[in-house]
Amino acid sequence: MIISHICTASIVSIVAGLDRTAAFQLMISRPIVVAPLTGWLLDTPLVGLEVGLLVELLWLCFLPVGASIPPDDTQVSIAATLLAGTGDYYIEAGSLSLVLVAVLSCCALGKIGQVFDGWARRFNGQFIIATQRAVAEGHLNHIGRNHLKGLLVFGFASWASFVVIGFCGALFLYLFFVVLKMGPPLEPVAGFLRILFPLVGAAAILANLKVRRSVTLYLASFVSTLMLFWFFK
Amino acid sequence: MTVVLLPKKIFIQTFFRSFLLQASWSFQGLQSLGFLFVLFPALEFFYEGEELKCVCARYLEKFNTHPYMASPIMGMCLALEEKQGKEAGISSQDLKEMTMFPYAAMGDSLFWGGLKPLAAVLSLFLAVKGSLWAPLVFLVLFNVPHLGCRLGWLWQGYRQGLDMIQIVQKWQLPDLAMRLKEATIVLLGSLSAFLVFHYLEMEKINPGLGVVFIPLLCVGVLLFKKGISSLTCVLLSAGFVFLLSLIWNWI
Amino acid sequence: MGIVLTRIDDRLIHGQILETWVPFLNVDCIVVANDQIAGNLMRRKLIHASVPKNIEVLFGSINELYKIICADEMRGRRILLLFSSSLDALKAFELGVSFSEINLGNLHGGPGGARVTCSVFLQQEDIENLTCLENSGVKISTQCVPTDRLKRWSELLGRQAK
Repeated sequence: MIISHICTASIVSIVAGLDRTAAFQLMISRPIVVAPLTGWLLDTPLVGLEVGLLVELLWLCFLPVGASIPPDDTQVSIAATLLAGTGDYYIEAGSLSLVLVAVLSCCALGKIGQVFDGWARRFNGQFIIATQRAVAEGHLNHIGRNHLKGLLVFGFASWASFVVIGFCGALFLYLFFVVLKMGPPLEPVAGFLRILFPLVGAAAILANLKVRRSVTLYLASFVSTLMLFWFFK
Repeated sequence: MTVVLLPKKIFIQTFFRSFLLQASWSFQGLQSLGFLFVLFPALEFFYEGEELKCVCARYLEKFNTHPYMASPIMGMCLALEEKQGKEAGISSQDLKEMTMFPYAAMGDSLFWGGLKPLAAVLSLFLAVKGSLWAPLVFLVLFNVPHLGCRLGWLWQGYRQGLDMIQIVQKWQLPDLAMRLKEATIVLLGSLSAFLVFHYLEMEKINPGLGVVFIPLLCVGVLLFKKGISSLTCVLLSAGFVFLLSLIWNWI
Repeated sequence: MGIVLTRIDDRLIHGQILETWVPFLNVDCIVVANDQIAGNLMRRKLIHASVPKNIEVLFGSINELYKIICADEMRGRRILLLFSSSLDALKAFELGVSFSEINLGNLHGGPGGARVTCSVFLQQEDIENLTCLENSGVKISTQCVPTDRLKRWSELLGRQAK
């Protein structure tokens, strides 16, 4: 991992972090988009795709409704892609075990994103008060200025959570692979863990989507698809 | 009183500004500053001097809705302000207050609960295959309807004024959301089967054994209904599997 | 079955209600008790449009509420009763609408309210109204969504005193 990699990922983290709430919301911030994007910029697109696949479904069912803030899967995906794609832990960069542990450790830090986001949303409160005062005094050009300052705050909060998640994640990876040498025992179960993430995410979505007979529908579809693949492989 | 129509340029400006609606989202003001920011060029065109100041202050009252569903509300506000609220018999404040929560509920269930999971699940089929088209497919599937709705509703809201409420009603968004969610669940079932099949084939196990995943999934769903977070679930099960593998190695 | 949940929520029907409480309690009918909305066709239509078809929504002023809830066709239905303020709930209770529990959802009130949870701010008159209800045997608690922890009235008063 070199400085230019970190800088690239930082830029992605700010742009995608803004896309989350503050601007556009074109869903560049979803893991399935932002992780391959980071990977592509770091020249390891397939690692990014793998990270996106693992993280995407995990927190999909959290609705960013009103005051509730979901865990920051955007920064988690960017940090995990950076760590797994370019890190050197005496294990081949981009190997499945490395991707898995990077995603696991970054996900565990997803709450940090919530903390920074909550901070940004409280900090922004001053802009509305300042604008109310400015409007009363007739300085209408302050409206746009105050509003756009919010972008800086959200951008900084995204970058800060990226840095903290990335740093702690890197420490954990170092501990796991270099100090504890846990790479080899992970290998036989890596394939299973790879599908564990999306399956847990699927179960979480199933429990949270409000549809009648959702479990029946899901299982019917699961069994019939499995049968189809089995017969026509 | 003659009605002055809004120039196209300002409409386009409003549309682009609507993407920055939440730039200063805060617990105190919610989207109110953003809403004023979006409508400001138009307000500046319709009003001036002291009146403009009053209108701006009025727009700083608490406002919060779904970011995409704000577009029809903005459109209707444009139409109301164009007539300076004099003909319709309803102020833009009343309109905002009336529409924000019902529209938030519709937007949440349609876009966050319906369209986003559907697009994600479809694109994940490609991701499992290792295809780099996955992110592009997701972006197209999500953004074509999303951008269409944003632009279309803003324009319609402006042209139709308060009739927009009826138009949104005709869409029956909550029922549409329900259809999308059902489709998501069916596809999610297929995706899970595809993942399991893919895994079993790589491990050279008979894919028919995939049915053992069914009780596991059911247990997962039950746990989530009890309020366990998906992260805890992943960490615990990953830790457990890894521990098994460690012990296996050690023996 | 009758009333399965009575809630005071100044946003009335919104995401939290539709996405969590309705499926959690299998509600099939939502009754919105609010004088202004009952008299405003536009608002009624708007709220109607945000609810899926399989759930019925009824609107009533506080005075009509008893008639609506106790009507014959409401028997056997699972009703979610929504008020927008503590005063409305107290009035309805005094007019004979019986409920044994009240859930406080979102209460933002005006300026000067005491913050008891993220979404509940109590004014002095709210405290009086709710204490009055609690003393008549209605259990008051707050819980935003079913997965949140339920906090009882006594606990809330304790927080408010701090």
